Amino acid sequence: MDLPEVELCDRLRFLPMNDQERLTRFESEMLPLTTDAYNLARWLVQNDQDAHDMVQEAFLRAFRFFRGMREETSRAWLLRIVRNVCYDHLRKRPGLSNASDSDQENLPDTKPSPEAALQTKSEITAVRSALAKLPEDFRTVLVLREMEELSYREISEITQVPIGTVMSRLARGRQHLTDLLKQMRAKDLL
Amino acid sequence: MTSSEFQKRIDPFLDNEVDLATAQEMQQHLEACADCETLFAARLALRHCLQSPELRFAAPEALRRKIHAQLREEIRSSSANFNWLLRLQFPNWILPTLAGAAAVLIFWFGSATFPSPVRSSNRENNTLIGQLVSNHLRSLVGNHLFDVASSDQHTVKPWFAGKLNFTPPVFDFGDQGFKLIGGRLDYLGNEEVAAVVFQHQKHYINLFVWPQNQSSHLADTILHKDGFNLSGWEADGLTIWAVTDAAPETLKTFVELEKQRMAE
Repeated sequence: MDLPEVELCDRLRFLPMNDQERLTRFESEMLPLTTDAYNLARWLVQNDQDAHDMVQEAFLRAFRFFRGMREETSRAWLLRIVRNVCYDHLRKRPGLSNASDSDQENLPDTKPSPEAALQTKSEITAVRSALAKLPEDFRTVLVLREMEELSYREISEITQVPIGTVMSRLARGRQHLTDLLKQMRAKDLL
Repeated sequence: MTSSEFQKRIDPFLDNEVDLATAQEMQQHLEACADCETLFAARLALRHCLQSPELRFAAPEALRRKIHAQLREEIRSSSANFNWLLRLQFPNWILPTLAGAAAVLIFWFGSATFPSPVRSSNRENNTLIGQLVSNHLRSLVGNHLFDVASSDQHTVKPWFAGKLNFTPPVFDFGDQGFKLIGGRLDYLGNEEVAAVVFQHQKHYINLFVWPQNQSSHLADTILHKDGFNLSGWEADGLTIWAVTDAAPETLKTFVELEKQRMAE
């Protein structure tokens, strides 16, 4: 007997959602997260074109495996896929991942907001380039914690490392960042 | 609390990830110790910078449009593959009738006519191959390609370890174009088997693994069925079948890689 066609038809008839329903649900749940996904990808791969590709790839992967989920997990789930896609990409071109300074002109227009007006512009610029210089593992947890305001547990799920590791990466990342900023300030003063 | 104790926990404290009692102790220390206060103020200032909206990249509208278009393309191409089946409208009576007829045929041909061992092992294989193809197909159309999604073999392998009494080989051949993308538990007949999932360009490969059957031996096999390519072999006491819609040469390359790595 060949593959039982009867059985196959049976299965297809009982798919839980049709494509159109799935797409509608996916888009209403996931598309609002595009900015979160893009911010993480942009900070990880450090250029605009690659970040676009990463986010598109992540959404495609997410859609293929989307089965409908509770809202509070979808952001962490999507960010995990984004992080994995970016890491795969970075692994394919070792050595380039931290070469980001030339990318400065690619940054988005910075229209100062009221809060930022209190900060000197140079301070933000300094933090931006220091963060770009951090090794990926530290940069990832800092972006997830400070910009996406995720909990240690969520970050641990996204980066697939234990909570203790998240904690130490954050601590070391912040220390690293502080040291880099000190160095930069010292250079400016000389 | 000493300063060094405080400094050890300064980051979880800042992130609101310490318990209430510790947080209170740390707060008290902070008010009493100038050094720690300076340190903490620096952390806060850094956070303030990191959280400034200038550092956050906003997704361009064009990206959203691209994703939207891409997803539409995705369902169009995936439904084109299976549309011909969905378009067949079966009257209500036809499925039970066909199933009944099939059962009669299986019973008639299978049990009575030729009870030779060769034939029966062929038949076993045919059922197996049919099941492998249908499991592969179901994994693609049912949106259940894997239970654990990861390209890291050190994530996928331990995941299986807790669930099966044998250890399937889990390797990533991303560098050779066969990327590990995850694993899931599957059933063949009533047996629990491991399915390790790989991606090659736009094709998926399901690698089904279960403990070898002591009484029969499977010679290395490569075959084609219903538009899918299958390759089966035995190694390390395991029976392994790879199923894919990728080309036979591609499957061969993949199987060689698996065998090589398993032999190492």
